[in-house]
Amino acid sequence: MDKKIAVQVDDLTVAYNYKPVLWDIDLEIPEGVLMAIVGPNGAGKSTLIKAILGILKPIAGSVSIYGKPYDQQRKLVAYVPQKGSVDWDFPTTALDVVMMGTYGSLGWIKRPGQKEKKAALEALEKVGMLPFKGRQISQLSGGQQQRIFLARALVQDASIYFMDEPFQGVDATTEIAIINILKELRKAGKTVIVVHHDLQTVPEYFDWVTFLNVKKIATGPVKDIFNDDNLTKTYGINYKVSIQE
Amino acid sequence: MNNAQIEIQLIASLVAVACAIPGTFLVLRKMAMISDAISHSILPGLVIGFFITQDLNSPFLILLAALTGVITVVLVERIQKTGLVKEDTAIGLVFPALFSIGVILIAKNANDVHLDVDAVLLGELAFAPFDRLMIAGADVGPKSLWIIGTILSMTIGLLIAFFKELKISTFDAGLAASLGFSPALIHYGLMTVASVTTVGAFDAVGAILVVALMIAPAASAYLLTTNLKKMLGLAISFGVFSAISGYWLAHWLDASIAGSITTMLGLLFLIIYLFAPSKGLIAVMYREKQQRTEVSLLTFLLHLKNHSETRERHVNHLQEHINWQKVRAKTVLDLALKNNMIIIDNNIVSLTQKGDEFTSKAINYIITNEDAQIEDMKDDFFLFRG
Repeated sequence: MDKKIAVQVDDLTVAYNYKPVLWDIDLEIPEGVLMAIVGPNGAGKSTLIKAILGILKPIAGSVSIYGKPYDQQRKLVAYVPQKGSVDWDFPTTALDVVMMGTYGSLGWIKRPGQKEKKAALEALEKVGMLPFKGRQISQLSGGQQQRIFLARALVQDASIYFMDEPFQGVDATTEIAIINILKELRKAGKTVIVVHHDLQTVPEYFDWVTFLNVKKIATGPVKDIFNDDNLTKTYGINYKVSIQE
Repeated sequence: MNNAQIEIQLIASLVAVACAIPGTFLVLRKMAMISDAISHSILPGLVIGFFITQDLNSPFLILLAALTGVITVVLVERIQKTGLVKEDTAIGLVFPALFSIGVILIAKNANDVHLDVDAVLLGELAFAPFDRLMIAGADVGPKSLWIIGTILSMTIGLLIAFFKELKISTFDAGLAASLGFSPALIHYGLMTVASVTTVGAFDAVGAILVVALMIAPAASAYLLTTNLKKMLGLAISFGVFSAISGYWLAHWLDASIAGSITTMLGLLFLIIYLFAPSKGLIAVMYREKQQRTEVSLLTFLLHLKNHSETRERHVNHLQEHINWQKVRAKTVLDLALKNNMIIIDNNIVSLTQKGDEFTSKAINYIITNEDAQIEDMKDDFFLFRG
């Protein structure tokens, strides 16, 4: 395969209080894949994303986005944090949260205007949340909140999307709606990286997968490496998933 | 009203506004206790600054004291980061230590220092008009007014410039960081503003009222609105209202102004806590009661749906079958009738088409948690409002 590398991670080590949670990770993510990061609890899946995005400082290693450091490539990257990482009682509306996606391109001090509002409304429309634009965010269901987060990432119009467990606590309809949007993003040539928990759906949703458990176990196309061997190496026990072909 | 009275109310109002702005963000960041820590631990900074400048109103002294406030925040975070104690414990360790250093410094130099602990805790708003700012021999007003006015102008300037950054880093620090708005920078910026405001307000209203003015108006506003700008506006209005009404309460009672303002803040919060339209105690109790009734209604409708035999649907049997008290059974029947969900014919209850659809939708929602179908039901029933 002769594709561009969207995200390159070299020798990345991250520690909390001197205890490594990610150990010497090397990872190349080719452009245009829809990739799942899987691994047990505490494997460092969210930490990997946060370290790539500069939210956490690694103690060693480097990250590049299309060949340059993240700082210079922010506008190419959108991030969807875990839904539980924010306070949904915050006094704001769905539309306002989606507008936050435009802040990055605005930079410091400059305020969002009509153009940003229009982009936010379009993103809301895409995730089917336009009727709820004025609703206070605590009045939304879990699935709706996740859609708002997705809309906020869409509004950034990025090349690479990082999503931390976008399917957590959402209903089946929302899950399907979200995965359809992610597949559309891939079709449009975007790279999508998703921390994922449900191993059963990996072959159905994703074309690329990274197994992670403090160290990188394997990375590559789902059809080649999503097998019992790698699952066992990652989860430590004899792990069998029945993959419906 | 004489001039001094107007000046006192003006100073108190400006202090209230200057406190409400950082206070709103402290409340939203769940950092209310940090303002308590800052207000106490700036004391050693004030005393040392006073030794150096011999002037309580010197800008240098204000900056030095504010720096102590920021140091407090850093120390609290350092201790917390060790993972040995939680944040509240760290706060409880840091500020009494710094405050006590200030107390000892005052006591050791009691004769030289025009500062005493009472004034530090409660302020001397009543005396503020006596300390005038003279420029080229002309009296331009009380020094406190100029100090707090300057601080407030800076705070408002920063708020307008960085409103977007404050909002995003308060709501979602992770996103803010990934977009390049350093949450740490904004955090320490806010802590600096809170510290400078505390020092500037401190001389006029004391350490305890500063905390009240930062937290109570913001907490009251939080209960009333779901819009950040409105929350700021309400917090500012509540602060000013308490400042002015508190002043007149003190005048009437011949009591401490600072104490009276704090009392008004407390009363205001209590009233809002009880009567706020959606988050108030009474509204919440009402909502819970309605939800209980609605659950009963649903149980009842489901019973009707599951039983076609008439003896299961006789009005009098409901009490026995579903095991409800008479009053509750009647409430539920009335609610169902009011919403055209049932018809009662010859004491036999049957579901209407509407009632049947309502039940199916509601059960489907409860099983699947998918709320696309029930949007229209949210308006009439609390049960479906997430």
